[in-house]
Amino acid sequence: MLFCFHLISLGKYRNNRHRDNKHTLSSVARETAVSLPADSPILAMFKTAALKLNARQDRHERLVKLSRDITIESKRIIFLLHSAITKEACEKAVSEANERLQKLVKGPIKSIGLELENVPAYLHSNAVTAGFQEFIEAQTLCSLMERQSIITWREVQNDLTYEVEDIAKDESERTVVTMLTQNDYMLGLADLTGELMRRAINSISSGESEECFNCCQNVRELYTGFLGVTGCGRELVRKLGTTRRNVEKVEGAAYALRVRGGEAPGALLPAALLAAPEPWPEPALHHDDHDEGFY
Amino acid sequence: MMNGNLVIHNIFSEFQKSLDEEQELREVIRNICKEVDSISRKTTTVLQVIHYNEAGIAPACLQARELFEEANAGYAKLKDAVPSTKYYKYQDHWKFMTQRYCYLISLTIWLEKGIMATHETVAEVLVSAVEEKEGFHLDIEDYLVGLLNLCSELSRLAVNSVTRGDYNRPLQISKFVMELNAGFRLLNFKNDHLRKRFDALKYDVKKIEEVVYDLSIRGLLPKTETDGMAIES
Repeated sequence: MLFCFHLISLGKYRNNRHRDNKHTLSSVARETAVSLPADSPILAMFKTAALKLNARQDRHERLVKLSRDITIESKRIIFLLHSAITKEACEKAVSEANERLQKLVKGPIKSIGLELENVPAYLHSNAVTAGFQEFIEAQTLCSLMERQSIITWREVQNDLTYEVEDIAKDESERTVVTMLTQNDYMLGLADLTGELMRRAINSISSGESEECFNCCQNVRELYTGFLGVTGCGRELVRKLGTTRRNVEKVEGAAYALRVRGGEAPGALLPAALLAAPEPWPEPALHHDDHDEGFY
Repeated sequence: MMNGNLVIHNIFSEFQKSLDEEQELREVIRNICKEVDSISRKTTTVLQVIHYNEAGIAPACLQARELFEEANAGYAKLKDAVPSTKYYKYQDHWKFMTQRYCYLISLTIWLEKGIMATHETVAEVLVSAVEEKEGFHLDIEDYLVGLLNLCSELSRLAVNSVTRGDYNRPLQISKFVMELNAGFRLLNFKNDHLRKRFDALKYDVKKIEEVVYDLSIRGLLPKTETDGMAIES
């Protein structure tokens, strides 16, 4: 409204005035803009700020890329671990998985550590959390298959400590640590229950009932652990719904194995199990769909 | 199996322990922030005088300076409480408050000297550290948001100084804000809060331009524009 008034009054003045009148809204703005010195201290400050912000954004992008690489390879490692059916194949898969996990540790994960060496790591924790979670999922699954116990956060963190040689002064070595937060570790552990559920069901079809009960027990204990935790982050709370469903599925599998195990051929069981109605509503999380789903 | 139990049990008890420690720290941070934030509210109130009492500006700046010293002491406490590597983990607690302080400090300095307070200057007044490496510092984005808030306040001041009969101030403000506007255009924003805040700057600029324009067509601008005034009268 006010603006309209300006336009109208502008027209009025225009008619009464000479053509070379320069008092228009845009001319006032233009004059101010032109009168700015090109090398003022203000602009210099903004140029420095621009450099800082750009460096921050570029670093973020690089980290996201590394994180994505870790996610992809971790998913493949998990797939590899699931594909093994017999005990011998399992051992082979585990050793290959270990090798590939080490490659991740020495490759992209180390790069993340170097990238964040002189920067506050928490500034970019959003960029790397996805990759770390997936890595933990693969690493814990592998350790569980290898030595029947879950690798702890401290063990993982110790693995991510590197001695880096300085190229400039080739004698001095410095220590670089890739920070993998305990929170990311726990988030990965929550995802592990999904993999264990898968493994339990797979092991039925391959006739290894003991493995099924093992996995079932591990899932239960992880779930119990999560239930007892208070004051954890929002993301973890969100994941607990999925964990709960994983528990139910794996317990259903163990039940079916006990009751009908002698009657039905193993291969038929998983299908029968999964046809059972879903007692808990599936939230619309894309993550669950492609990651935890078993259909 | 028992072995597995124990490992899992330990994982969770260790996690719980670190969560508890984190909660404790957050409580400490919250308490300090509450205190420091109330100083910022007080400073905001003190500086409101600039909109209706020219003579009150200088004393208000002096008072604001004293309050900034109190705030600095508060930030020193925060600095002690927050582990130096975890600034960004707990940043949310003091982010908005820090942005407000950046605005208040840059406003005070502008009123005092008519210049833009640099990142270093504001950091010096508030937390005495600029760089990320130094642990508790002044984040560049918070500083920039503070400058944008300053522009909003100045657009209000432009209107109010005209009401007060001060036709010089709007020109000074216009020049300053235009320069900041040109500066902000040099930055590459991501699609984040800083960008959204920057997008609102144009409304402040427009408001100030309109004030200057109104003065200009009515021949109310001080001296330099006299050639235009002859026709007007």
